[in-house]
Amino acid sequence: MALAGLDKKPSILPGATAVVLATAFLIVLLRVENQKAVITLLAFGMVAVVATNWLGYFTPVARSFSAREDALGPFTVVAALVVAAVFHEDHFVLLMLCTVVLYTVATLGLNIQFGYAGVLNFAGASFFGIGAYTAAVLNQHTAVPHLLVLLTGGAMAAMIGSLLLLPVLRTRGHYAAVVTIAFALLLKTFLEVNDILGGPQGLQVRGMNIFGWSFNNNIEFAGIQLSFYVSYFLLSLMILIVAFLLVRRVERSWIGLNLDALRLDETAASCFGLNIVRWKVTAFLLGNFLIGTAGALFGMVGGFVQPNNYTFADSLILVSILLLGGIGNPWGVVLATVLVVIVPEKLQVIQEYRFMLYAALVMIVLLFRPEGLLPRPVRRYFSEWRS
Amino acid sequence: MDPGLIAQHTMNGLMLGMMYALVAVGFTLFFGVLDVIKFSHGDVLTVGAFTALAAFIGMRSIGVTSDAAQLLVILLVAIGTIALLGAVIAKLFVLPLRTAPALNTLLITLMLGTVLREAVRLFYPDGANPKPFPRLLPSDSINIGNLNLRLDNAILLAAGTLVIVGLQFLLNRTKLGLAIRAVAQDEETARTMGVNFNAVVLITFAIGSALAAFAGIMNGLYYNEINFGIGLYLGVVGFSAAIIGGLGSIYGAILGGFLFAALQTIGAVALPFASAYKDVFAFAVVIALMAWRPTGLIPEKLSERV
Amino acid sequence: MTTKPLRHDAVLSAKGLTRRFGGVVAVDQLDLHVAHGEILGLIGPNGSGKTTFFNVITGLYAANAGTVSFDGSDITYASPQEIYHAGISRTFQRSRLSLPLSIFDNIMIGNHKRLTQRLWFNLMNRRAFKAEFEASYAEAQSLVAVFNPPLAQRMMEPVTGLSMIDRRRIEICRALISRPKLLLLDEPSAGMTHEETAHLMKDILDVRTRIEGLTIVIVEHEMGVIERITDRCVVLNFGRKISAGTFAEIARDRQVQEAYLGLQ
Repeated sequence: MALAGLDKKPSILPGATAVVLATAFLIVLLRVENQKAVITLLAFGMVAVVATNWLGYFTPVARSFSAREDALGPFTVVAALVVAAVFHEDHFVLLMLCTVVLYTVATLGLNIQFGYAGVLNFAGASFFGIGAYTAAVLNQHTAVPHLLVLLTGGAMAAMIGSLLLLPVLRTRGHYAAVVTIAFALLLKTFLEVNDILGGPQGLQVRGMNIFGWSFNNNIEFAGIQLSFYVSYFLLSLMILIVAFLLVRRVERSWIGLNLDALRLDETAASCFGLNIVRWKVTAFLLGNFLIGTAGALFGMVGGFVQPNNYTFADSLILVSILLLGGIGNPWGVVLATVLVVIVPEKLQVIQEYRFMLYAALVMIVLLFRPEGLLPRPVRRYFSEWRS
Repeated sequence: MDPGLIAQHTMNGLMLGMMYALVAVGFTLFFGVLDVIKFSHGDVLTVGAFTALAAFIGMRSIGVTSDAAQLLVILLVAIGTIALLGAVIAKLFVLPLRTAPALNTLLITLMLGTVLREAVRLFYPDGANPKPFPRLLPSDSINIGNLNLRLDNAILLAAGTLVIVGLQFLLNRTKLGLAIRAVAQDEETARTMGVNFNAVVLITFAIGSALAAFAGIMNGLYYNEINFGIGLYLGVVGFSAAIIGGLGSIYGAILGGFLFAALQTIGAVALPFASAYKDVFAFAVVIALMAWRPTGLIPEKLSERV
Repeated sequence: MTTKPLRHDAVLSAKGLTRRFGGVVAVDQLDLHVAHGEILGLIGPNGSGKTTFFNVITGLYAANAGTVSFDGSDITYASPQEIYHAGISRTFQRSRLSLPLSIFDNIMIGNHKRLTQRLWFNLMNRRAFKAEFEASYAEAQSLVAVFNPPLAQRMMEPVTGLSMIDRRRIEICRALISRPKLLLLDEPSAGMTHEETAHLMKDILDVRTRIEGLTIVIVEHEMGVIERITDRCVVLNFGRKISAGTFAEIARDRQVQEAYLGLQ
């Protein structure tokens, strides 16, 4: 199989074009209010995607991203900043964007657990909520610096997760499934009956405050009014960048290889010295840490936390994002999160049906395209390395 | 503790155990025959219960008033419909994914369960709220010594026992049962022996789902109420019960079901102030059991060849 | 794993090894010794316990009775990981490669003990990691080149696209990359033509010269192969050893002929 132009670096252009087009589409979609216009726009988008696929334009884009990620990554970040700049006064849109970014971080965590190590976690939203509750409690009752609170949220999620899974990691995959589902159901009930954690009403979460600068105040910058959500968005984006790089590094190392090996064939992996329990635990803790950290910030962004926002159904949404986007591919996670969070917000009519709709969509994907929207490419340890 | 309370707790435990056992047996059948975890099993139960309710309302609206007739019809309608649903699920979603990693079947059925659950919540009139389920069993009670035994509970228990015994009979004494066990043991050999693999799979799923529908109706008759979430809960419990009993073993599933109910009852007695904690207690013990005996109390069949 | 290794003539030694599955005795009181540096053929009809023997040696199944020692240490109840680290590597009867992964990735799975597994090294020390990566790549490439030179240019391709024969070759490379002391080959030539098998055996002998002191136990059905490359053979039937010696010796053995051909 000869690849044309193997010694020439794939061009950055297809990838950059894709980012520009996607950003433009997103901005228009976020602007539009009229429901009929939204439907038309989404239909147009779907047709465009199908046509692009049929014409074979996805391959150069994928190759472009794969080889030139070190340039396209920052380019995408710039695109995100452009979107935020366009909506710098719009509280609602910025809050949605924060949600997208933080959900992406959480799903990247889930990706390490599930996409790489093959450890099932159907309580992702519960651990996300644990992060938020940690922020609520710490912000209210202690003077812990808020950035540290984020990390503590991550640590709490990791710790509680490890208690849950340690006895089960020695056994088959479906055990982790049932244990995490049970945990998701029970945690919600537990939070609802315990008034000390606010019961069904939940708790308020004090906003972020770094070095005396409160995030919850609107900003004025060079004469321009900025929504206070801008600060949260910038911080969330920074966390996403770190999380993305972490996931990339993990995948492009012997650790990523170990996780893949144990996911694909545990028996053979043991015969080649892999300590199955150690690596599953590592993946699970790392993933939960990301989930909890994102959850803590999410709590501060929203200003409150209640059990009804972190149910089993919400955990399934995270799993759906992972499966739709392309399991194991962080770019797929980014893309799918944008779609899954934003579309129901814009298309009000499907809000009520979103759990059912996404579940049905995942079923279709599993039947006809199990690798997801953006399939995971073969591991390349260094993007610019050529053999 | 006064004997009346003990009797009440025991009866409650037995009822729960029966329902859990019925659901657990379904899980174990699916795993035994196809090595699949069908997570939609619990939500199929919900659909069964709601189908029964709909059938009841339908009958009442055409003027049927006899309790016995109503009971018979809703049983037939619900069990028949759900058996068909189980077979359809197997045909459309489980069999096509046989060559894919086992994980995909677990995921697709999990999602299917969500679709079923949400469909009930969204499309059944006022589905988001609990619905009253009719009292179709005689509500008299008889006194044995100084214990009060309710007739409806006794009938439910007896019916459940009959169903389980009937299932055992089917599996151990009939040709169909033999075919099912053959497929569960070794698919290839069963095929070469002339067993119609696909037919056996569909029938097994139909049977398992029918059991779920029966359990759903039992649940409705016992609590006189159903809601769209009962299946999810019973499914998680039933699955855990099947695991600790030993996936693939019918006896194990039954044992697991009653064990879980016993744990819940102990939890409820020991912690009377918060009923939610009885579940935490029961699950905690189950997780510990899983850690101690990962293959279940009656060891899981060896499905991996090295 | 207890005592430090002593130099023994037998590098692998099984005594009275027994493994049962329910009512079936798959390996029955087996005494088997493999001398340092030799190539031992393990033969017998289907179901005679050869693969089970491998599985017990490598720790996948626990022995019901008997002992196994390797390089002087008792490994009877060692875990598969410990056995790998001690220097025993294997291939599987049913090919077990990770299909979505590249050729290089699959081989590196076998190289686990020689790769640095520390988190900091992998995530933060990218320069050192790159050096280790490039050295491992070169090594894997030269190993693959022994078996199929054109394949060595396609190291980053996923294994799914490879022919069955190439997959078997990669599996052998995976077992060899860690420079094991003992290599267990389970029917490596299954499904190959005579020519391909001869080619494979030549390559295996070639590789053997690169790894000092490599001992090999090979399960095979093709008698020509056994005759050509093995120093000694052990014949199993129903889990029991029925004959041992050079190929010429066991071929003359009446019991062996009965087992294979059902002669009276």
